[in-house]
Amino acid sequence: MLKLFSLVTAVIVWGLLSLTLPPEIFPGPIETARVLWGEIAAGRVATDLAMTMLRVVAGLVLALILGVPVGVLMGLNRRAEAVLDLWVMIGLTIPSLCYAIMAFMWFGLNEAAAIIAIAVTAAPSITINIWEGVKNVDTRLVAMARIFEASRPAIVRRVLLPQIFPYVMASTRFGLGIIWKITVLVELIGRPNGVGFKLFYWYQLADMRQVLAWTLLFTIIMLLIELVILKPIERRLFAWRPQVAV
Amino acid sequence: MKPAIEVASLRKTFQGRDGTARAILRDLDMAVGAGEFLCILGPSGCGKSTLLNVLAGLDKAYEGRAEVSGGRIGYLFQEPRLLPWLTADENLDFALASCRVPTSRRSELKSRYLAMTGLSEYRNYYPHQISGGMAQRLALVRALCVEPGILLMDEPFSGLDEITARRIRFDLLTIWEETRKTIVFVTHNAYEACFLADRILVMSDGAFRQEMRVPIARPRSYDDAAIFELSRDVIKAFGDEIDREPVLFAAPATEPGLDPGRHAAARMNI
Repeated sequence: MLKLFSLVTAVIVWGLLSLTLPPEIFPGPIETARVLWGEIAAGRVATDLAMTMLRVVAGLVLALILGVPVGVLMGLNRRAEAVLDLWVMIGLTIPSLCYAIMAFMWFGLNEAAAIIAIAVTAAPSITINIWEGVKNVDTRLVAMARIFEASRPAIVRRVLLPQIFPYVMASTRFGLGIIWKITVLVELIGRPNGVGFKLFYWYQLADMRQVLAWTLLFTIIMLLIELVILKPIERRLFAWRPQVAV
Repeated sequence: MKPAIEVASLRKTFQGRDGTARAILRDLDMAVGAGEFLCILGPSGCGKSTLLNVLAGLDKAYEGRAEVSGGRIGYLFQEPRLLPWLTADENLDFALASCRVPTSRRSELKSRYLAMTGLSEYRNYYPHQISGGMAQRLALVRALCVEPGILLMDEPFSGLDEITARRIRFDLLTIWEETRKTIVFVTHNAYEACFLADRILVMSDGAFRQEMRVPIARPRSYDDAAIFELSRDVIKAFGDEIDREPVLFAAPATEPGLDPGRHAAARMNI
């Protein structure tokens, strides 16, 4: 209920702000939705959206594959932490545009280069999240499990993983947020299709209606993924958690 | 008969940050008979938890001998240490499965000890949904239902309010009288030790200072005047012990001028 209210408020604020500029420069929500619907009805959305989604998902999976093991290693091993700490910071500092340029220059203007650039940009943030998570593991519970003669695999699976999993979940959401943005940027400089390509295309034609329509599309898809996929997963996995009353 | 626990010349030193070695356990000798209820009484930091960790096999860096032969070990920590993502029932299953208790025996064991502690109705509750006292009682059930020969308990009731603690102490004695497990119970509370134990070993600065038998008949009542008197004697004797060997008792440097005897008594919770 509160969510719906906040959504409606956001749309109203958009509408009011759009009145300050001419509609061809800052179209309001109704105009934007109309343009977007026109694009969808004309069948001009599916390919670009699908390509972007593919890059996002592939990039996220690769980022998790790169980021999670490094984070776990850093959380478990003090020496690894000392060595990799600086690397992660450097990785985090380099702007995503630099990764994109490097990937396209070194690997060519292809899909693999795009996905690598996306994954490498997001991986350090994922690593930091997981690293924190592993450091926060409650070793007292591990001692308890050892007293009860739990085997090493059982301790990992039933005592450690449930403690780390919330951080993996948070990393995924967080990573997804970053990856959307990088993907659009990567498409803008090096791909012949996708939402980012479209945004740049319409920008060059100075068609703000189309630019906002594609932005709106993107935002809606993002919210749907969050609400329809991630939230329910989280709710099911963490049903045991107490509600925090402040 | 062979004792359930035998400790001989047990030493452990801890390498401090500045490189100096600090003795935590100094040449401990003790034997605990099968079915005995032993309390180790001492102020915080005297090494009693370390001794328990050695007995439990959690701490393997020591010199000397520490043998436990009376069967599987059950352990009750100061905190419940339940897995928060499992219900009460699943927490018990985790322990039972880890200890490889046959599946056919599990539900009987669970029901029995849950009933003994009045937790039968709370099987499907998560740890955060029950009170601290209930959680600690559930931890007691978990320790008991794996059918240990020996129960090690590390100040298990010190974090609870007095009324709850009394109730669980009473439960514990009832269960012990029925099952006669060997119990080593570590505490800084002299009254608790006198109420529970057959024998008390007073510990300070990594060594046993005194051994006392508790000649009070069972079943005991918590308000028994004899327990009160004995606990007073224990604390007094403990104070004398410290006065006699002032060098061995290292009072924290941050509290100069504090009479060590009184200081220890104050920390012993009476």
